[in-house]
Amino acid sequence: MPTAATGSHRPVLATLVVIFFALPAVGCREDAEEGVKVLRVANWGGVQVDSEFMRLERKIREEFEQLHPGVRVRFEQIPGPGQYAPKLLMMHVTGSVPDVVHLDASSAAVFIDNGVLRDLSPFIERDADFDLEGYFENVTRIAARGDRLYAIPLDFTPMVMYYNKKLFDAAGVPYPRPGWTWDEFLETARKLTVFPEGARAPTQYGFNFENQPPLWMMWIWNNGGDLLDPEGRRATGYFDSPESIAAVQFLVDLMTKHRVAPHLTESAAAGLDLFRAGLAAMDLKGHWMIIDYRADQMNFGVVGLPTNLPRRVTVVYEAGLAVTAHAKHPDLGWEYIKFMTSKGVQVRRVASGLAISGNRAAAAEFAGNPVEDAFLAEVEYARPPWGAKVERFPFIEDLVREMLEDILYSHGKLPVSKAMHETAKLIDAALAH
Amino acid sequence: MHQGDHNWRGYVFVAPATIYLGLFAFFPMLFAAWMALHRWHLLKENHEFIGLGNFLALAQDPFFRNAIANTLVYVAASVPLGVITSLAVALLVAQPLRGVGLFRTLFYIPAVASQVAISMVWIWILLPEVGLLNSALSWVGFDGSRNYLAEPGWAMAALVAMSLWIGLGPRMVIFLAGLQNIPEQLYEAAAIDGATGWQRFRHITLPMLAPTTLFVVVTTTIAAFQLFTPVYMMTRGGPRRTTDVVLYHIYREAWQKFEVGTASAMSYVLFAMILLVALVQFRIMRRSMQEGAAA
Amino acid sequence: MSRPWRTILVYAALVTIAVTTVIPLVWMVFTSLHPPMAQIPTMRTLFTPDGWHFENYHYVLTFGELPIARFALNSFIVTTGVVLFQLTLCSLAAFAFSRLNWRGRDTLFFVFLLTMMIPGQVLVVPLFTFVQKLGWLDTYWGLIVPYAYLSTAFGTFLLRQFFNSIPRSLDEAARLDGCSDWGIFWHVILPSSKPALATLAAFGFIWTWTDFYWAMLATSSTEMRTLEVGLSVFKDAYGGMRWPLQMTAAVIVLTPVLIVFLAMQRFFVRGMVLSGLKG
Repeated sequence: MPTAATGSHRPVLATLVVIFFALPAVGCREDAEEGVKVLRVANWGGVQVDSEFMRLERKIREEFEQLHPGVRVRFEQIPGPGQYAPKLLMMHVTGSVPDVVHLDASSAAVFIDNGVLRDLSPFIERDADFDLEGYFENVTRIAARGDRLYAIPLDFTPMVMYYNKKLFDAAGVPYPRPGWTWDEFLETARKLTVFPEGARAPTQYGFNFENQPPLWMMWIWNNGGDLLDPEGRRATGYFDSPESIAAVQFLVDLMTKHRVAPHLTESAAAGLDLFRAGLAAMDLKGHWMIIDYRADQMNFGVVGLPTNLPRRVTVVYEAGLAVTAHAKHPDLGWEYIKFMTSKGVQVRRVASGLAISGNRAAAAEFAGNPVEDAFLAEVEYARPPWGAKVERFPFIEDLVREMLEDILYSHGKLPVSKAMHETAKLIDAALAH
Repeated sequence: MHQGDHNWRGYVFVAPATIYLGLFAFFPMLFAAWMALHRWHLLKENHEFIGLGNFLALAQDPFFRNAIANTLVYVAASVPLGVITSLAVALLVAQPLRGVGLFRTLFYIPAVASQVAISMVWIWILLPEVGLLNSALSWVGFDGSRNYLAEPGWAMAALVAMSLWIGLGPRMVIFLAGLQNIPEQLYEAAAIDGATGWQRFRHITLPMLAPTTLFVVVTTTIAAFQLFTPVYMMTRGGPRRTTDVVLYHIYREAWQKFEVGTASAMSYVLFAMILLVALVQFRIMRRSMQEGAAA
Repeated sequence: MSRPWRTILVYAALVTIAVTTVIPLVWMVFTSLHPPMAQIPTMRTLFTPDGWHFENYHYVLTFGELPIARFALNSFIVTTGVVLFQLTLCSLAAFAFSRLNWRGRDTLFFVFLLTMMIPGQVLVVPLFTFVQKLGWLDTYWGLIVPYAYLSTAFGTFLLRQFFNSIPRSLDEAARLDGCSDWGIFWHVILPSSKPALATLAAFGFIWTWTDFYWAMLATSSTEMRTLEVGLSVFKDAYGGMRWPLQMTAAVIVLTPVLIVFLAMQRFFVRGMVLSGLKG
């Protein structure tokens, strides 16, 4: 006879099934109470991992709620690298998009140019309390399209050259000064590279290079070249111009000819930050690294990027706040933006050193510190990233990154000019669709 | 065959799952097929019907062909190795030895952690000089300076190795469940007849395991074709596009270019490949199962 | 080969594999105790960090007022729901495919398998739209029900293969005793399938518990987040910052699964299945 022990299991199973069907009814999302307006604000999750900061932001949101009785702010974080734009766009397409969104300059184009966001100029005009002049113009421009403005800057950073003062002192090299040229940069890097006899690779590099296009695209600018034409429609003629090619050649030479920067096979690109470890004397990064460098107790300085032009150029990465086109509470969203970008709130927000406040008055509160001043000085030289204007930019960045990989891995067999001509064509194809 | 050639109760039993899949799998699949026939950008309004246009473009796209080639290499390497190693380990762990339960649990643990955490651990393992693998190699006198993830060819090998490590546990557990179902008497009878261990394996274990083996082979293959997270976390398709597998390619098309039409077309190409391979596997296994039953 | 030698070899092989399996996990646990701002530990520094920071766990568990307990509860509810749902659907369907004869059976089975073959990425857009229209976004329903789609085919396949290997003589014996199809299902097949059901439940549990993507998409509010998503604030795609805390979060997510898995170990234990006809 087959064992028929299942009689005893029946009650257990039945209970489980009942619980299973009952549960979802129990734990649903909080329903809107009568008369309460829920303002939904979305942000990407992850990069600033600071418990204090999160608590601070929550407190700030509560203060906003107190100023506006009957309003609740529901903060929706969209975590996961690269998931922010996709999820937000899906929400837009299905009509479930939040009221206010944080906007990252380097991927703003796809939102701005597809009607996902609301033009804020009517709000600005109507509102006597709000003064657009109080925000850094270079930074505000990023989210502008002619007369229309789609976001108010929250915080930002220009990209600068960090240098490790301890390593400079040890080598007896004077600190770099703003306006320095590429030749001076190369000389400095050479003096700070330690390459012992017979060693396979330098034990200390003058410059830490990472193959992430947002971190090195500016070299092209500083040689007079560019990625795309001013309209952002094509790459051929610009990306493969002699100036652009020379710029990339310079970078490649840093790694292969002069050996002042780690070759891709040398830098454990994932996991070991050579500059933080004191194994590289200079690095090209943004304001956010200050938190880490201070924790490491590094004695560092900051200077503008080296250039071959009369006037140097750098890029500015910005986070802003925008109201969505399909927002349920646009006016309330505007109030929220005003609140979050006001001086008082901003000062508290950027006290952690994460970035520079988009609000001039707030940023001024932190001036007087040489590092902060160096950053502020770079703002006038900063350009918006291409991602603010060109929709497909993440894809193009990947193409450029792969191109540099190809060049470096070919060990000289693939000339820079050929690679850049071909990549320019690929970029054109990607833009053409 | 059995009595009851057309047992209508079959429909009743299968109905819940079928309805469920109909709603949550087929409907999206059909919608994706529809998108594949259009030039469809996630945000733009006009979706132009272009019939097989996407597929034709893909056939001529060297990058897509590269992605397919990479995927095939990965599948061809990881599936046989993965199935054989997990069967071997299952046999080891099925022995009535002491402490075997502990080993079983340990082997299963990698499958239990999230793919993201696993990817990070493996980044460390593969670091040049200081990573686990290179440290071990230089300890025994080999070259410990290779940056595996940064070298074309080696990066793919690393991904294959990773898949073996992660998949070992689940596959082993399934083989174990299958092994448990083989009645003891068969082995006893064979032992009485004088069969050696190897003969018992070949003539009892393997044939009786055939349904389980088919399952493991097919599901491992399907999963291998859909490799994504390690590529996304560790190599981003590099170095030099040697780990750009189809699913990563689809990700870039869908979420960096927002071209869901093309991405859907790519998905269907992948689907067709998987389907073809699975059919072949079924056919082969069924034939050998029938031959085995006759033995 | 003599017995003792064989045993030694077997143990040697097992230990070797166990070591390679365990080392990365050892690394995860040790790294999670390193100073939060530390760089990625190397072999040398793994066991000798700047102090053992057990407070990392406290930090992660009380981070920024994230409701960790709620995350864990959500994960538990969703995972249990998915597993029960799955076991029910899959065992019924697998029985139909394995034991019953009806027109279109094999075709439909293959159609089931088809659903495993199309990559989920592209299905996400229609699925998300569908779930949103149902009003299930940010609810338990929206998390539980769509999840099962991949594992339904997998589970049905697994159980069908397993049911296939249960001797039909048992069915016939039961039928002689007057059992209907349902009776055979309930009294013969299911009890004999404990290992496979447990395996399926374990898989379902693990997949659902550690899933990030759909859990992220289907929820917006913090209160509905699962543990994996809730703790994802500690993750960076490029692994640049704060490895130790990322590992702490990973270990925290991992622990409940391990406990469940250990508890379910008994079902995987070799038992005397179906001493069968003689019995």
